[in-house]
Amino acid sequence: MRYYFVDQDRKDTVVDLNKVETNGSISKFIFSEKTFYARRLAGKLFGSWDQQKWFKLTQLSAGETVVSNTVTYKMYRGFKPSGLFSGGAGALVTQMPGKVVKLFVKAGDTVEKGQTILILEAMKMENEIKAGVSGVVKSLLVQPGQALESGVLMAEIEE
Amino acid sequence: MLGKRVLIANRGEIAIRIAKALNELGLVSVGVWTDNEPEAAHLEYCQEWVHLSGNTNRDTYLNVPKILELIKKYKIDAVHPGYGFLSENGEFAKTLKAQGVIFIGPNPEAIAAMGDKAISKQWAQKAGVPVVPGSTGEVPTVEEAIKLCQTIGYPVLLKAVAGGGGKGMRPCYSDADVKTNFEAVQREALSSFGNAGLLVEKYVQNPHHIEVQILADKKGNVYHLFERECSIQRRHQKIIEEAPSPFIGEDTKLRKEICETAVKLAKAVGYDSAGTVEFIMGDDRKFYFLEMNTRIQVEHPITEEITGIDLLANMVKSAFNQPLDFKTQDDIKLHGHAIECRICAEDPVTMLPAPGKIAGFETTFPQGIRFDHCLYPKFTITPDFDPMVGKLIARGYDRAVAIRKVRAALDGLLLDGLKTNIPLLKVILDEESFKKGEYTTHYIAGVKPQERVAITEKPESLLVRVASVEMGQV
Repeated sequence: MRYYFVDQDRKDTVVDLNKVETNGSISKFIFSEKTFYARRLAGKLFGSWDQQKWFKLTQLSAGETVVSNTVTYKMYRGFKPSGLFSGGAGALVTQMPGKVVKLFVKAGDTVEKGQTILILEAMKMENEIKAGVSGVVKSLLVQPGQALESGVLMAEIEE
Repeated sequence: MLGKRVLIANRGEIAIRIAKALNELGLVSVGVWTDNEPEAAHLEYCQEWVHLSGNTNRDTYLNVPKILELIKKYKIDAVHPGYGFLSENGEFAKTLKAQGVIFIGPNPEAIAAMGDKAISKQWAQKAGVPVVPGSTGEVPTVEEAIKLCQTIGYPVLLKAVAGGGGKGMRPCYSDADVKTNFEAVQREALSSFGNAGLLVEKYVQNPHHIEVQILADKKGNVYHLFERECSIQRRHQKIIEEAPSPFIGEDTKLRKEICETAVKLAKAVGYDSAGTVEFIMGDDRKFYFLEMNTRIQVEHPITEEITGIDLLANMVKSAFNQPLDFKTQDDIKLHGHAIECRICAEDPVTMLPAPGKIAGFETTFPQGIRFDHCLYPKFTITPDFDPMVGKLIARGYDRAVAIRKVRAALDGLLLDGLKTNIPLLKVILDEESFKKGEYTTHYIAGVKPQERVAITEKPESLLVRVASVEMGQV
């Protein structure tokens, strides 16, 4: 599973989780360069690098923001996010909460890179969400009038 | 008093604190929720939940007619205003009194007397309380300013009468300085505040912000619960407070003097309920009255921790004319030391507010910690409300122990998803001059702890986040 951490300057940090092995109550997370362990204990979540020294973890969900001192990251699971004002890859994901105003395509349509797929109203402005690649609309997951959170997959375009 | 219905006209951590006291005393705690905070965490502690319609503070917590409507509709007997919002609104207090509703706070006359900086200074002078030496009103000319400065003694501050928040002030160290700066300050004052009037005040060197907690009943008995020192501030907002004051330290004579002075002033204005008298103290250990806050304050917990006295419960008892938990001033004893760190949703370096959503929240605290907050996982901090999301308080056998405990508590406070001042607080608590108790209100500006906040990210912490999300996917 690939994770994307996008910082406040829109720079991506990619983390590849190659394998997960579960042995009893301990889950082993095998990353490219390191291995991490996690388990639940008394309703809380704990992590460890060596299965001996354990520290408490906050319980997070995908699509949320995580912070390290002054760096804010948006954490995405599985999909590379595309910018709100410029296309990214084939997945169109919301960068901030907004409302779907109008859709211009349906599933199965062929689209060109840069073509407006839908209009999203966010921060009191109307934003045109454009296709980042040329291809076929594989799925359209939203409807007009729908209020979306940040980090929501709106559409997928297959090249 | 039992069964009386009390409306909490506030939110967040202080609403929770008030509800705790009301519930414990057998009163009915009525909490409100607004349209911009439908999932208000403070309701957890409130027995009744009432809708205060509106999307902005102006339309809700500051909307007197709306609140009066609620009071009528829900048959409210008393209102606790908390801090901020309507807590020092004399008109509101007067209106409630006229309608036979108890305002859990001081009487309207006391609020009026201490509400205005100039009027409160006059009251202080009348009561024989030392005030910052200076002009009693505006100083119209340079010549008059210089004459005054020579009487007060340099250094002085030329201050815009309409100024605030540290703006429109210039220090002067000699007659020449006054000549140079007088017109400049007038110009600055006119352009920033629309009023060119300025006054002259003694410039207290290396100032310490020291305040005394007052608690009074309706029978004219006024007590003090010792002092607090709140000198760690930025933009004139406190971030760390301690009780008792490390600057006063073991000087019990000075402690007695400043606390009894505060009581003298409170008595002079016929004060009742809880309040705080603020002083500024210089290196020379001379103190001067600054202002009085006629409300319960954010940092009240540290006083509760060193005295063992529940300020909110006693504030409520006083309002209902019930006997307080203690009988005499001598019953109030100082024990140990307490420190409070205000946890704020802001950038630890720039110290600017940084609203956001809490992705995860966990605590692992040492013994002796009190955390007053309104946090929960997925809680969104919006720009509508104050960036302060919690107060971390440690009580210790002495100051060093309190620092040790609160520092460990900061390590055990995990708040993911938003920027907080926690990294900055850690730098300050590790700092030698802070540990020695040697600091003034110039601390942040001088020592610049924000420059020592680590901004580099350890790549491993991202892997940890991934594991956490994966564990939740199952």
